[in-house]
Amino acid sequence: MTTSLASPFPDLRRLWADAPTFTRLGLFIALAAIPLLAAAAIDPRIFLHAPVWQKPLQFHLALSVYLFTLAFFARYLPHGMTTPRWRIFAAIVAFCILAELLWVGGAASFGTASHFNTSQPIMTALYGLMGIFAVILTSASLALGIAIWRNPHTGLPPALHLSLALGLILTFVLTLIAAGTLSSMTGHHIGTPITHSALPILGWSREVGDLRVAHFIATHALHVLPAAGLIAATIAPRVATFTVWAASGAYCLFVALTLARALQGQPFLP
Amino acid sequence: MTPDLLFQLTSPLALLGWATLVFAPLAPRFADLVAAALIPALLSVGYVALILVNWGSAPGGFDTLANVMALFTEPAIALAGWVHYLAFDLFVGAWITRTARAQGIPHWLVLPCLVPTFLFGPAGFLAFTALRATYAAQARMTGARP
Repeated sequence: MTTSLASPFPDLRRLWADAPTFTRLGLFIALAAIPLLAAAAIDPRIFLHAPVWQKPLQFHLALSVYLFTLAFFARYLPHGMTTPRWRIFAAIVAFCILAELLWVGGAASFGTASHFNTSQPIMTALYGLMGIFAVILTSASLALGIAIWRNPHTGLPPALHLSLALGLILTFVLTLIAAGTLSSMTGHHIGTPITHSALPILGWSREVGDLRVAHFIATHALHVLPAAGLIAATIAPRVATFTVWAASGAYCLFVALTLARALQGQPFLP
Repeated sequence: MTPDLLFQLTSPLALLGWATLVFAPLAPRFADLVAAALIPALLSVGYVALILVNWGSAPGGFDTLANVMALFTEPAIALAGWVHYLAFDLFVGAWITRTARAQGIPHWLVLPCLVPTFLFGPAGFLAFTALRATYAAQARMTGARP
C-alpha cells in the first residue's frame, strides 16, 4: 500500500480499483441530481418554507460526498472494498442509499413530507423503514473505520491512521446519537419559527433550535478528524497522536453542545 | 418558466439534432454524439423535470384511453409528452443513420426514411426496417454484401 502523502494530488483513478460500487454510485447520484436541478428551476412550489427540491438536492450532494469519501479511504485497506464480503456489504449499502433518495425525491415530487410523515399508514411505514436503511448506510463508515483501525499496514503515520479510524467510527456513533434524537421528535425544529429565517444552502433555522445542525457536524467527523490528523502529523509529529485523541474528544463535546443548544431551542448561528 | 416558453425552446433543439443527421456523412461521429446522446439527454432532463414537478397533481392515468386523454389536458404533461416524442424520435433517427452506415446502406436512401421518422416516428422506423430488409434479402439471394 502506498500512501497519498507523497503527492499533493491523490490518484483519483484508484477510487475505481479500491471501491468500484461506491465510486459508481457516488457518480451516478451526482449525475441524477441534474434532472432534479431542472425540476427545481421550473417548480414554484414551497414546502415547509423551502423550495420543494432543496432537500432532494441536499441528499444527492451529501450522499455523493459520503460515497466518494468512503471510496477514497478504502485505499487504506489491504484489498480495498473488493473482497466478496465487502462487495456484498457495499451492494446492501448502495441499495439503502438509492431507496433513501427515491423516497426523499418521490415525496418532493408529490409535494409532501418524507421524514416525520405520519399522514398515511404507508408513509409512516416508509419513514420507519428508511430509518433502518439510514442506520445501515451509516454503518458503512463504522465498518470501514474498524477495518482501517485493524490494518497495521496502511503506510500512514500513526496519528493520521488513528484519526482516519476515529473519524469514521465517530461518524457512525455521533450520527446515531444526533439523528436518533432528531427522529424521536415530530420535526427538526425546537421552538416555533416565525420569520423562518435560515442559513443559505444548509437551511438551518436562525431563530429556533435546529436538530439538523448536530446531525451535520456528527456526520462530518470523517472529514474533520482526518484533516486534524493530517495537520497534526505534519506540523507537530511528536504530539500528533495525543492531538488526535484530544481533537476527537473535543469534537464529541462540540456535537453534544450543538445538540444541547438545539434542544434548548437556541439557533446554532442567529 | 411556462409550458409555452419551454415548448418554444425544445423544437429548435430537436431540429438541430436532425440537421446533424442530414449531414451525418460529413461528420458521422459528431452527428452521433449530438443526435444520439447530447440532445436526447438534454430533452430527457427536461422531460424528467416536467414529470417530477407535475405528475403528482396531474389528472388521469395510464390505465384507460379516457385517462390518458385526461392526462394530456394538463399543459405541462402534454408538453412532457411532446418532449418525449422529440427525444425518442431523434434517438431513433440517430440509430437509423448509424445502422445504415454500419451496414453500407447509402445515405441518400436513408434521408427519405429520416423525414417520416422526424414527422411521424413509427412510419419512418417502418420505412427504414423495410429498406434494411431489401438489403438483407439481396445479401441472402446473391451472397454479396453491398
